[in-house]
Amino acid sequence: MLWVNGRALVPRVRPGVRVDHWTPPVLLDPVGRVLVVRARDLMEDFPLVRRGTDALEATRLLVARGLPGLVVLDEAGVPLVVLPDSQVLRFALPEYVEDDPTLADVFPEGEADRLCEGLAGHTVAELMPGKAYLPKRDRDRPIVAPRATVMQIASVMSRQKSPIVAVVDEGAVLGVITVHRLLGAVLPPE
Amino acid sequence: MTNPNGFVIAAAITVFVGAYVLIATEWVHRVRAALGGAAVMFLIGATTGDEAFFSAETGVDWNVVLLLFGMMVVISVVKQTGLFDYLAIWAAKRAKGRPYRLLVLLCLITAGASALLDNVTTVLLMAPVTLLVCDRLGARPEMFLIAEALVSNIGGVGTLVGDPPNIIIGSRAPLSFNDFLVNLAPLAVLLVAVFLLLARFLFRKAYTVDEAKAENVMALDERQALGDPAMLRRVLAVLALIIAAFTVHSFLSLEPAVVALLGAGAMILVSRTSKEEFLQDVEWETLAFFIGLFVMVGALVNIGVIDWLAEQAVDAVGGRFLLAATVLLFGSAVISGVIDNIPYVATLTPLVATLVASGSGPETAALWWALALGAGLGGNATAIGASANVVVTGIAAREGHPISFATFTRYGLVVTAVTVVISWPYLWLRYFVLA
Repeated sequence: MLWVNGRALVPRVRPGVRVDHWTPPVLLDPVGRVLVVRARDLMEDFPLVRRGTDALEATRLLVARGLPGLVVLDEAGVPLVVLPDSQVLRFALPEYVEDDPTLADVFPEGEADRLCEGLAGHTVAELMPGKAYLPKRDRDRPIVAPRATVMQIASVMSRQKSPIVAVVDEGAVLGVITVHRLLGAVLPPE
Repeated sequence: MTNPNGFVIAAAITVFVGAYVLIATEWVHRVRAALGGAAVMFLIGATTGDEAFFSAETGVDWNVVLLLFGMMVVISVVKQTGLFDYLAIWAAKRAKGRPYRLLVLLCLITAGASALLDNVTTVLLMAPVTLLVCDRLGARPEMFLIAEALVSNIGGVGTLVGDPPNIIIGSRAPLSFNDFLVNLAPLAVLLVAVFLLLARFLFRKAYTVDEAKAENVMALDERQALGDPAMLRRVLAVLALIIAAFTVHSFLSLEPAVVALLGAGAMILVSRTSKEEFLQDVEWETLAFFIGLFVMVGALVNIGVIDWLAEQAVDAVGGRFLLAATVLLFGSAVISGVIDNIPYVATLTPLVATLVASGSGPETAALWWALALGAGLGGNATAIGASANVVVTGIAAREGHPISFATFTRYGLVVTAVTVVISWPYLWLRYFVLA
């Protein structure tokens, strides 16, 4: 029996498919058949932040846990958007350096530690690049149902260019799935 | 076109005015409005493919479009060298943290650059490095950015290639690079000097800088901005050749557009930049906007509307060219303060050409200069009067230093009034009293 998130994985076998050469991390049943993997099988514990969370605190969370991004909740506690780590870096970098990358060369050495000064005093909401970034409809939120298949999860991640999706059931966040976790579950071995 | 019927004339005027309103109010993106208006001109029979694409009088002015394109490629390559970052940081170091001196040096670089480059490009090049310097000094960058936008519009007035309206006037008049250099550049230099004196008082809020922070600026290494000094030398050599070619283009029988295109080609060859790099500053939207405008204005010329307006203007002027120059200077300044000066100048050039042709002597040439000065300097009046102003306020807002319409306009109106008022005695003395 395979265990995911501390729960027994109910083996649901894709009929007629037998892939003997596959080895974990592909989820297989004891006789080597690929299991039908659902979102609830892949989800893991993950820190969630709110729009008002301090930006520096959120960044420390990213770094300490080695996360690809943060799931940001709305006022109702439902995942609103995923803030990727690249966006945090983008905010920390002065905009004028982004407009004119040559300026990155003129900074004196030894001032790299000032990079994160730009995050101080800001909230997670300010790290998000404008209203266009926020979902206009519920279907644009980075969420999947516990029964979502790998293909459905990948589709949400791809459509929203998000490295993480949250698994939500009746408004409650059960866990999240990262791209690494998703790919790790389906990637064939070398 | 021979004898267009009343419906075509009425429809063409309606389409033109409608497109103008859409452009001025920005209810529809200006490119959509111009190209949409041009399309309707074709559909109602106000123009034809031959007239729109191959006629020098009623069609797209390819000299303007290709001169702009060539200079955009030149700018794309010059930008890669980091020259402006180098100059601005070098200037900031020379200023040693003294804010007025810093503002003067940054404005001089901006004015010089805008004489050769498009104003929007100039402020796009200068704004990031200005923000860096202000950040290091702990200074508020708003006043520096406003000053750069204003001085870029003043500097751009001085040359044929400094401002798109000048390119249109130069092509339609026709007037050479040297004509602009001899007639407008001296005034532009004077106006920049006056602006810098005015700035001492106008932007005094910006001069509250902790000079102890000058060390932060001194720590910057401007030489690092020049990624490839060998490439910079080659690019500067080609730039010098382009300027030299502009000054002798009329003797060589080369159109300014041909000079710009040859210069752009040479830039690409010597810089060995990639296609993406040398095309990155080509504003296809602007070029499409010009094409749409030329088709619309050409259609009005084609059906005789512009000729009729020109006859009325000639009758009204009645040989009083000083009055005409005065109205053009001040009227253009007011109009350019609220609407885009490119469609305004594109519409007015056929009218002014008829007025100029109705007389002789140096006073008629004053009409072209009055139009160029009014349209160029008038753009400073409001935050939306010139593209450079819009770009600067946009950058400032993104960086967390918003400049309100009222704030920009408060400074812009003063600068416009002073520069336009100084321009009038210049025109009067040079073309009417001393001519």
